[in-house]
Amino acid sequence: MPHERHIMGLFKNEEHVISAVEALKTSPYEFIRVNTPIPSHKIMQALNLKKSKVGWFTLCGGIIGFFSGFGLAAFTATRWDLIVSGKPIMAIIPFVIVGFEATILFAVFGNVIGLLTQMRMPNSGWLKYYDPRCSGEHFGVLATCEAHQKDGLEDFFRKRGAEVKSFKSSPKELI
Amino acid sequence: MDRRTFLKIAGMGSLSFASSCTSESDKKLFSLVRAPGDMVTGKAGWYASTCRECPAGCGILAKNREGRIIKLEGNPLHPINKGRLCMRGQAALQGVYHPNRLKAPLFKKNGRFQALSFSEATSLLNSRTAAARTGSNRARLLTETVGQSLMQLLTDALQDLSSPPPLVFESYAYESLKTANKLVFGLDGLASYHIDQADLLVSFGADFLETWLSPVEYAWKFKAMHALQTSTKNVFYHVNPVQSLTGANADRWVACNPGSESLMALALVKHALSADKGRELSATLQQTLTTALAAFTRDHLLQNSGISPTTYDKLVDRLMRARRPLVLGPGTGASDSNGFLTHVAVNLLNLLLDPELHRLDFTRRHRVEMAARRSDVLKFFNTLNTDKVELLLINNTNPVFSMSSDNTVKEALERPDLFVVCFSNFMDETAALADLILPVRMPLETWDEYGGKTGLVSTLQPAMGKLTHAPHLGDVISKACFSPESPVKTYPVKTYKDYLVYMLADAHGISDELKWVKTLQQGGKFDLPDDPVNSRQPPETDAIIKLLAGQVESKPSELTFTATPSIRFFDGRGANRPWLCEIPDPLYRIAWQTPVVMHPGTARANNIEQEDIVGIESKFGSLEAPVLLSELVVPGLLTMNIGQGHQAFDNETESSGLNPLQLLSPMAHKDSGGTDFNSTDIKIRKTGRTMKLAGTAGSLTQHGRTLALSITLAELQNKKTTPRSGLTMGNFPLTLPLPEGYDPKRDVFPPHDHDTYRWGMVVDLDKCIGCGACSTACYAENNIGIVGEKRILQGREMAWMSVERYHVSDQMERVAFLPMMCQHCDNAPCESVCPVYAPHHSKEGLNNQIYNRCIGTRYCVQNCPYKVRRFNWFTWKWPKPMNLQLNPDVTVRSKGVMEKCSFCIQRIKAAHNIAKNENRLIRDDEVAPACVQTCPTNALVFGNLMDKTSHVRKLTENPRAYQALGYLNTKPAVIYLKKVIQEI
Amino acid sequence: MTQLTYAKIDQTILDTLTPPKWTYWGILVLLFIGVLIGAACWTYQIFVGIGVGGQNNPVAWGTYLINFVFWVGIAHSGTLISAILHLFRAGWRNPIARAAETMTVFAVCVAGLFPFIHLGRVWQVYYMLPIPNQRLLWPNFLSPLMFDVIAISTYLTVSSLFWYTGMLPDLAAVRDRSTGTRHKIFTFLSFGWTGAHEQWRHFTRGYLFFAALATPLVISVHSVVSWDFALGIVPGWHTTIFAPYFVAGAIHSGLAMVLTLMIPLRKLFKYEDIITMEVLQNVAKTIVLTGLIVGLAYGTEYFLAWYSHNTVEMEQFRWRALGDYRWGFYFMVLCNTLAPLLFLFKKIRTTIISLFIISLIINFGMWWERFVIIVGGVAHGFAPHAWGLYRPTMIEFGIMFGTFCLFFFLFMLFAKHLPSVSMTEMKETLEGGHDHAA
Repeated sequence: MPHERHIMGLFKNEEHVISAVEALKTSPYEFIRVNTPIPSHKIMQALNLKKSKVGWFTLCGGIIGFFSGFGLAAFTATRWDLIVSGKPIMAIIPFVIVGFEATILFAVFGNVIGLLTQMRMPNSGWLKYYDPRCSGEHFGVLATCEAHQKDGLEDFFRKRGAEVKSFKSSPKELI
Repeated sequence: MDRRTFLKIAGMGSLSFASSCTSESDKKLFSLVRAPGDMVTGKAGWYASTCRECPAGCGILAKNREGRIIKLEGNPLHPINKGRLCMRGQAALQGVYHPNRLKAPLFKKNGRFQALSFSEATSLLNSRTAAARTGSNRARLLTETVGQSLMQLLTDALQDLSSPPPLVFESYAYESLKTANKLVFGLDGLASYHIDQADLLVSFGADFLETWLSPVEYAWKFKAMHALQTSTKNVFYHVNPVQSLTGANADRWVACNPGSESLMALALVKHALSADKGRELSATLQQTLTTALAAFTRDHLLQNSGISPTTYDKLVDRLMRARRPLVLGPGTGASDSNGFLTHVAVNLLNLLLDPELHRLDFTRRHRVEMAARRSDVLKFFNTLNTDKVELLLINNTNPVFSMSSDNTVKEALERPDLFVVCFSNFMDETAALADLILPVRMPLETWDEYGGKTGLVSTLQPAMGKLTHAPHLGDVISKACFSPESPVKTYPVKTYKDYLVYMLADAHGISDELKWVKTLQQGGKFDLPDDPVNSRQPPETDAIIKLLAGQVESKPSELTFTATPSIRFFDGRGANRPWLCEIPDPLYRIAWQTPVVMHPGTARANNIEQEDIVGIESKFGSLEAPVLLSELVVPGLLTMNIGQGHQAFDNETESSGLNPLQLLSPMAHKDSGGTDFNSTDIKIRKTGRTMKLAGTAGSLTQHGRTLALSITLAELQNKKTTPRSGLTMGNFPLTLPLPEGYDPKRDVFPPHDHDTYRWGMVVDLDKCIGCGACSTACYAENNIGIVGEKRILQGREMAWMSVERYHVSDQMERVAFLPMMCQHCDNAPCESVCPVYAPHHSKEGLNNQIYNRCIGTRYCVQNCPYKVRRFNWFTWKWPKPMNLQLNPDVTVRSKGVMEKCSFCIQRIKAAHNIAKNENRLIRDDEVAPACVQTCPTNALVFGNLMDKTSHVRKLTENPRAYQALGYLNTKPAVIYLKKVIQEI
Repeated sequence: MTQLTYAKIDQTILDTLTPPKWTYWGILVLLFIGVLIGAACWTYQIFVGIGVGGQNNPVAWGTYLINFVFWVGIAHSGTLISAILHLFRAGWRNPIARAAETMTVFAVCVAGLFPFIHLGRVWQVYYMLPIPNQRLLWPNFLSPLMFDVIAISTYLTVSSLFWYTGMLPDLAAVRDRSTGTRHKIFTFLSFGWTGAHEQWRHFTRGYLFFAALATPLVISVHSVVSWDFALGIVPGWHTTIFAPYFVAGAIHSGLAMVLTLMIPLRKLFKYEDIITMEVLQNVAKTIVLTGLIVGLAYGTEYFLAWYSHNTVEMEQFRWRALGDYRWGFYFMVLCNTLAPLLFLFKKIRTTIISLFIISLIINFGMWWERFVIIVGGVAHGFAPHAWGLYRPTMIEFGIMFGTFCLFFFLFMLFAKHLPSVSMTEMKETLEGGHDHAA
């Protein structure tokens, strides 16, 4: 059943955030996310998130990169078979250098693609149920509840020393 | 080109010209809609002719492409130069195509020249001659050395004008040599020398490799004499205060104080007498000489000459033991008393050492002997006024420049009631003073005949159409100077060409068309008379005695100046040829400028430094010149090259450099009647200003690198030289650019194969005389840009091939020459660094440079250890009509691309096509790059290294073979042979 | 830094983005004129020919490649600080990382110009790109210059992406603190970043990979640049120590440039609390290290020359110290090795003015190091007959001046329009400072 109310507790203290998150797990309210100005390891641990998959994109990019780099060099060299400085047409070492640089380049492309896809960005949807203070000094914890539980949730946050910001609900949501 | 092809092509060319072309021919110089029969577009026609850049008269072949000459090469059949050419000969083209060549006659009206049409000019001349004919003795003619036929015509012409015969003017007229010959051999002329037959050569300064009599001829003869025989090598001593290129090629340069050569020569005569040489000669002669020479003792010589006793004694010893000795006198312009006396002594010495004079040839004498003595020339000009001469004709000589130290000539020419006509193609100093300048056709465009030696017929034929409508001198003269009833008019001739044929038929039995065509084809009639007409007389003893007695002890002057003839400009006629200015002096490596050269000691004594501008004052004049320090002159002597510093030439190219002649005595020597190119009691002062010298040599010595190597005869003889097998510069083996040149010990990469040919070159440093002809030929063949003085100062010369000069670091007075061009390495460092494959290795082993692909990163030149690559910093210009000289087979490069020696790939390609058509492989020695073709001494050999039997390949087995900086393991395809030096 | 708070950090840094005074615009205009001068010189050179420069035979490479190497070198410290020190968890790099990265990006842009300026036929430059074509003409991947093409373009791409990615959270911060057009622009630029834990989860990981990739890249790039010389056989170039030697040198010059840029920035933007003296000190200390490394390299070159007993090498290095370009050599030794040693004195490395002056000295010295290596080697190479000297012309100086203007022009634009210090990373240093300790 659709939740109606989105309520964000804005904390100034990392510790309070964590306790709030812990408490939410046992509460009837549903935890959605935390918006933090910095990557907080404690909070991450508290949410015990699993490892990001970005690395796989990077790896693939790298592998593709090396072979395309080396391949390009090797392919072009064999079009005319021009001898330079008495070196072999297929000169491995120089081509490895080309391969290396391409590895880095493509790995980074992979990495960027990985990030964008994983973080689902660019996407303005993130800005829904968001408070600008979260990029400043506040840690925002967003949770939802049924309409009737609204006050309860707000109290829940206040008790833990947060300012409360509640959003107008809308039928379809949840990013 | 081998002999057969040459005959084929030359024959074809000349035939058609002989039939189609008269001197009135009006062939246009643009591509034709219907080409004449012999002109196949893209195929060269070769025309045999004769070089007229100096009186030597070498045979040339002019390469004609689409109606324009693009290259000159020596005529292989010609007895004088045997197919070789010097740098001046190569540069003759730039005379024809010179942008400042006068296109139309110029007439001076109240001090300013205005152009006339040729018909107006000739009629003007005719009226003048008509006027002159009214009286007698009203006309004069001064001409350069010309062929027999033309001389005859000129003589007749003046006779018809009842005036004295023409006077032949040459700035180098060899007066003292002629006079000495007259005294000793009773012959007032110039014998030629069989240098090649000598086994010991002693020269007292004769610069026979540069300008003396017949440089190309004597170059190959000298190398024939000086060649390395199985175990020995003949010896050449050069006794002179200025080393000169010739001295640089001597086994020993005996540096003597200025003016002491005669003492040396006389001491040797004395020695020869006491050694009882020349027994065959009359006793009286011996007696008288012995007494006369009493004063000229060894000690007297050693005190005054600064020659070391050991050197002298060794020389004497060798000279006395020599079986076929030959002694040559002082250089081209030595007619001071010292020079004259030396000549006499040298002649006596030759006479004593070999009473039969086997090495002197009085039959085939040098044509230049017809040149008048300077004394007569002076008289000629002085009498112009007194004899009320109205008309003076000057044919292509520049006396005003050659005699620039006083105003006799100037004033004589400026006299208002004298009408001066100059048959000159350039506005030179003399022409500038003329009333009428009437350009005549240049040698490469005309019919004529010029035998450099007595009895030799060497023909000239138009090798190209006319660039201007200038008439032939012969036609002008015959129209202008002959009255209708003169005998010449009775000849069956219409034009000078007919006259020429008539005269030749008359004199040399070239009687019918076929003989004539044959003569034209091979460039002349070379069967010289072989009967030695012994015109010799016994020495005029008492004259000689008088001369010796008349010697006053001249006190040594502190500073002496001598002007030396230049291999580049001869007497100055070459000074407006850009190539000759651009290619640096062989010894001093200075381009464009004329520095005054002095010994570092002299400089220190006067606290002068290199590149200071000093004022030099003699009794006769003064000039300011930048200083170049060199150990190649003795202390106390200043020297400058003759030829540059023309005021009249109107662009910066031509007026570059300085004219040392201003410092010399205008007087002629009393005994020889010759000019004195030395000047004593010189004063120099610092001006405080300096001038950068446009030198191309970054360093005097080679800093112990394996570039220009030499080996002593002794080392060469003991065969047990251990084979080099190491990796260091010292003992790196010869690694041929072939699979056999590779060795896993040294090479990371495996060898690569070539397709039938692997082109390579062998440079024999023992034969190279450093004359720079190769470099000039390269400029001509490959359309190399002329950058000019300013750019050379910036280090931007474009020479693909330059003859590098290195002093021997522990004997600075010794120099070694190293012709350096692209080495076409098998592992060329330049190739792999190019990001776009512009340089790469061809199937035939060439290091190709693809101009269109080059983007100008300039990494290749950075990485070339020989620094032979040249970058086009700008788009170089060829002012019209110089562009007509460009070789159509070679791309003209534009700014931003790299270029370099290609081993004349265009010639290789041509040979490929011929071989393909004849369905064979390219023969050995069939391909000759421009440099190889022109080398006067055969120092360069080109061919296929893959062919084990080829000439080059065999030479690589020579124990003297090495590769420049071979230890870099670039495997150059240019193999050098060490210069052989002998300690004497 | 205890008195620093999130709020204070945001405030100080965002204050720098307030609309600038006219002096700022004035300086920008002047710099732009400088750029135009350079451009004019280059255009002239393109039409007349490379000959308007001073290069010649034998010295065919001049200031263009000197500046190329110089700027690539400058670039390197940026990546060092942002990537390598990030991996080392050196907390003190955070305040300067952003500016340093920016410096990298712009320095690479400027450096990337020089190969073009250097070319004899720049209009044919595309021959160096692997563009498929009918005649199957491809570039030669054996050439060190092709390594350059790939390495430099990779480096430019990677460092820009790295820079932008790292800036995302700050862009978001600016978005959240701004209104109107700026708000719109930054909303767009920040891609909808909100610092949600889902984003951070991937972001931190990705950023780590970025750093891990940038590190070998930055080393390879300057190694490749050094191979332009080391792969040539020219005496004075042809040595295996070049790669590490150049990398160290690059970082050396880069760090000096960081100081040169940071010190005025710190003053103008009142960053005293953020870019503390301790940070500058740490940079200075690192400079001492790199300075010693390049000093060692100078020494090693001489040792090798002597040890090789190769006459050519020995002559080259004798001439380097005593020959026509000895001043360049003295500059390079004094400015790059001896001057930095002054930082050993706490007094000197804690005084702003001395820090600034010495940083300038090092920049000067590093330029001369490149001169000595690039010009010296070929000027006095294998063939004594070809030895020659090189002197830059006004055209070259004009172009050089233009490119310097370009760099500072770009940097000034950046400083006033993007957060020149990373707020996020600053906050990190406050917060979990302890678990980030260097």
